[in-house]
Amino acid sequence: MSSMSTLRLVIGRELRTRGTSKAYLFGMLAILVVLSAAIVIPSVLDDQTTTVEIGAVGNGNDDVLDLTRQLVIDRAGDDEVEFDVTTYADTDAARAGLADGEVELVVVDGTAILRESSSAFSNDDLEQRVQEAAATLALQDRLDGSGVELAEITSVLSSQPLEVRTVQGVADAAQDEARSLIAYAGMMMLYLAILIFGAWTLQGVTEEKSSRVVEVLLATVEPWQLLAGKVIGIGLLGLAQFGITVAWAMTLIRVTGALNLPVIPVDSAVTLVVWFVLGFALYSTMFATAGALVGRSEDAQSVAFPVSMTAIVGFFVSFQALSEPAGVLARVTTFVPFMSPFVVPIRVAFQEITVWEQLLAVAVTAGLVVVLIRIAARVYAGGALHFAGRLGLRAAWTGARETSRP
Amino acid sequence: MLDIDSLTKRYGDVVALDGCSFTVRPGRMLGFLGRNGAGKTTTMRAVFGLANPDSGEIRWDGHPITAADRRRFGYMPEERGLYPAMALTDQLVYFGRLHGMTAAEARAAADRWLADLDLADRAGDALQDLSQGNQQRVQLAAALLHDPELLVLDEPFNGLDPIGAATMARVLRERAAAGTAVMFSSHQLEVVEDLCEDVAIIDRGRVVVTGEVEALQAESPYRRVELDLSDQQAAALQDLDGVLESRFDGRHHVLKVRADVDITRLMAGVGTGLGGGQHFVYTTPSLTQIFTEAVSPPDHPAATTADRMTHATIGGTR
Repeated sequence: MSSMSTLRLVIGRELRTRGTSKAYLFGMLAILVVLSAAIVIPSVLDDQTTTVEIGAVGNGNDDVLDLTRQLVIDRAGDDEVEFDVTTYADTDAARAGLADGEVELVVVDGTAILRESSSAFSNDDLEQRVQEAAATLALQDRLDGSGVELAEITSVLSSQPLEVRTVQGVADAAQDEARSLIAYAGMMMLYLAILIFGAWTLQGVTEEKSSRVVEVLLATVEPWQLLAGKVIGIGLLGLAQFGITVAWAMTLIRVTGALNLPVIPVDSAVTLVVWFVLGFALYSTMFATAGALVGRSEDAQSVAFPVSMTAIVGFFVSFQALSEPAGVLARVTTFVPFMSPFVVPIRVAFQEITVWEQLLAVAVTAGLVVVLIRIAARVYAGGALHFAGRLGLRAAWTGARETSRP
Repeated sequence: MLDIDSLTKRYGDVVALDGCSFTVRPGRMLGFLGRNGAGKTTTMRAVFGLANPDSGEIRWDGHPITAADRRRFGYMPEERGLYPAMALTDQLVYFGRLHGMTAAEARAAADRWLADLDLADRAGDALQDLSQGNQQRVQLAAALLHDPELLVLDEPFNGLDPIGAATMARVLRERAAAGTAVMFSSHQLEVVEDLCEDVAIIDRGRVVVTGEVEALQAESPYRRVELDLSDQQAAALQDLDGVLESRFDGRHHVLKVRADVDITRLMAGVGTGLGGGQHFVYTTPSLTQIFTEAVSPPDHPAATTADRMTHATIGGTR
């Protein structure tokens, strides 16, 4: 039996017992319920229907009105469109209707628009759509026989022929929104995952010590296998919860049309997963080491405090990065191991980071994880059979000779 | 065959092991005896790499113990421990697999052991829902599941009721009969005398007596005599050569005599024949006597070390 298959068994046990535990399943359920409520309730309350009240007087209005209706629907996106046409017997009746607010404007004989405002220019959307429809029809009339379809004319007239650029690049409000959403949501999730699942790792280690099962285990399992199995097993559960939450949120958003969700930028998504894994590995290993230093679950909080505190500092530093992703603090903390998991995804999301900065940050953190796992395994070995009170880090380190095998 | 060879171990100023050597043979049971803090737990932990001796060696079949060897060993630590919230079968299957069994083998073995230990109907229950005695049975099953070649048990009879102790004794006998090398520590010397062919007595980190129980008894320079005497006869006995101790245990007089004493002449000297009273026993000393002779008395100055060790064991830091 190889050491990898032992590791797999340890991971498997964590997945089975914790993945089916009430704490995990109900926690998951609670997250999904809260998330669903947060997405569905605003979209239900928000009126998603665009209502157009338009009047008509005289003859020859049908073509213009039909095309206007089509154009309004095209612009409305996912919204429902209610297009009500009120036909008036004569112009006086139409004036009365306008004055009462029954309709927004009245099309007269397919050739004129009657409205209340006396301004020469109008920004009114509906009026623009009617003008667009009339222009389209007129153009179609001229082009009659040339083989140009109505739809082609519509698409030319309703598009912005000139792309708008900014000094940073192509202006894309939707993409910007997606990026800041990812940066913010990703940072929150990482922070919560570190605190929640990190606490699980801590609890898992102290549980095995307080139930004394650790001595039976260490008779056949190496300390590093026990430590790594726990961190990986609980990490996978955390990642699964993260994945399910994101997938569920996306599905709900699409189904309800609550947000006009743009395509998530690939670089941001990949970065987020990479840093989720790295950040979790880093903090979880720290929590496991802390757990090895105490004999009872009651003492766990005191040793975990420095680790949670570091995560909280990282969380606040990342707020600074949100507001100023290219600032000095953000640039420096990119390379500070316990800060980078929070800071780098934000800078990537805002595209305020160079590739070499990213690679260096990944290398620093990944390297630290490797070193830390070795240190943690030794401290874990030294502390694992220590059941009374709290053990100093130094004592655990020297005590590790007891359980480190040749 | 497990060879424990000249182990030494210090924890700071405290000497835990100081030349600890003995051998556990396949198909036999060895009782590992010693006062609290004498170094029993440290020795047993060293077999599993849970304590690293400063010098000396532990060998299995002549070679230093490897991780693969350890997977064929079974261990029941003094501090019992299993997962409280895990179902019995799941728990046993997990331990079986850690010892290299396939899932199917482990499941079959778990079912077999739970049935053997009268726990078949609790197989799906969480460990914490079981009584203390039943939890001990599960702990035993966890150590035996994979049919270990070596079984090491630290105080297996501690906290067992008479029925539990009988079950434990039966299972250990069966294992030894099946060829397993068994060693266990205990303070219940009658149990050890009853079960074990071999014994090792450790005192302040050093094995002071080791060998076959019967041989040790036969080689002992003392014999035990139990008989009924009048007060006068008892008084006369005190002065006879070869009688080292005499006391009345409430029913009979118990003598400790030198092995070379001719018992017939002794009895004549007291003025009673061999069949004089209702009760007469002449036998080799009990294990308790051998043990008491071998270890330093509690008030011995050197025992301070042992006392400190006792304290450390309670803390369980080793």
